[in-house]
Amino acid sequence: MRNLFNFLIQYSVLILFLILEVTSIFLVVSNQGYQKSVFLSSSNTVVSGMYQVSNSVVEFFKLSAANDNLSEENTALKNEIILLKNQLSTLEPETKDSVHFRIPPEMEYEFISAKVINNSTNKLQNYITLNKGLRDGIKVDMGVVSDEGVVGIVKVVSTKYAVVIPVLNEKIKINCKFKKSNYSGPLQWSGEDYRYANLKDIARHVEFSLGDSLITSGFTNTFPEGIPVGTIEDFKIKESDAYYNIKVKLAVNFRTLSHVKVINYKNFYEQRTIEKVAEK
Amino acid sequence: MLSLIQNIFSFIVLILLQVLVLNNVQFLGFLNPYIYILFILSLPVKFPRWITLILGFVLGLIIDIFSNTIGIHAFATVLIAFFRNGIIKLFISIEEGSNPIPSFHSFGVGAYIKYVVFMVMLHHTSLFLLEAFSLQLNWMTLLRILLSSFVSILLILGIRSFNKR
Repeated sequence: MRNLFNFLIQYSVLILFLILEVTSIFLVVSNQGYQKSVFLSSSNTVVSGMYQVSNSVVEFFKLSAANDNLSEENTALKNEIILLKNQLSTLEPETKDSVHFRIPPEMEYEFISAKVINNSTNKLQNYITLNKGLRDGIKVDMGVVSDEGVVGIVKVVSTKYAVVIPVLNEKIKINCKFKKSNYSGPLQWSGEDYRYANLKDIARHVEFSLGDSLITSGFTNTFPEGIPVGTIEDFKIKESDAYYNIKVKLAVNFRTLSHVKVINYKNFYEQRTIEKVAEK
Repeated sequence: MLSLIQNIFSFIVLILLQVLVLNNVQFLGFLNPYIYILFILSLPVKFPRWITLILGFVLGLIIDIFSNTIGIHAFATVLIAFFRNGIIKLFISIEEGSNPIPSFHSFGVGAYIKYVVFMVMLHHTSLFLLEAFSLQLNWMTLLRILLSSFVSILLILGIRSFNKR
């Protein structure tokens, strides 16, 4: 017994070292399934609060660029309104009756605007923190877009904050398709450059050319169809390959990301439930 | 007492500098210097090792919480906290009874640079290897280790050259 105590005292530093290292490794490994505990991630209120303060300073310097974007979007929207009004006026019947139009399926989406308060582009696994959470109606698995295109998918939500896995994380794949031909495949980040990602599973016979645009396929309920993802920058195919290796220039510049919209697909749970029932 | 307050102050300042400024430095897209370990580097030579280990763990964990990488920084920082004394003994013999704080002045320029280079390389290598745990990007990881270490070493030596003690 005394020998045991002597041993413990003599090697106490080594034992402490091993305990701390094993704890760290345990944290890393148990974390692989992504942030089981919101507590330790940056949705943590204290950490997020701090990021919000630091972000409000940085935000100030990005104002002019954000303003330009907003005014551009405004003009586009106004043009669209005029166009739609014109179309509507031609469709309106001479005498108004009390029957209302049913909302078409395309309009069952709703946008929740949010601000990026923490963002990285230089890690292998990047995450984005937003300043909106449960109380603003954000739920896990909702899609996130900016004015330019697809950003990512909500992964963790706390009352006031949400953490998004962006396209710049090798853990998610976004299903997208060619605007021209409707062929679809998964898009995954390569971990190297924040401007580019790789498109896979496009078979040899598919025809496309440099500069073609990619949009979301709409097969998942996270994103509606037709949101821009990127354009073809480069592609390679070897004699022996059945599939193309396509390099895609992403539509969104993740370095300057500041305002995003979270997509709330209102019938998400209904659709998912009925699909699950069908699979049984 | 004064040195305790100084240490707490440098602990907080280094964390803020790392989290709010350096984690946003994105030169070439994959270069991220980590200088918060300067806190571990600058503890007195005879500082109790078990406290060094626990401080290393806490420091690493705080950085982890801010960068969403739970455990990775804690591991790397505890590693250098453990091997610190061995690395110091490699380059310099400490006199009996003295307890210097590592610096250009107390170690000599050559020995201090070697000490910083060794510690930073050890920290960054373990850090980036652990981060790339699940990926096969070997040459990328190597490049990240070398470039980030180089910038971290320059920053740490730069900061230390301003402190005269």
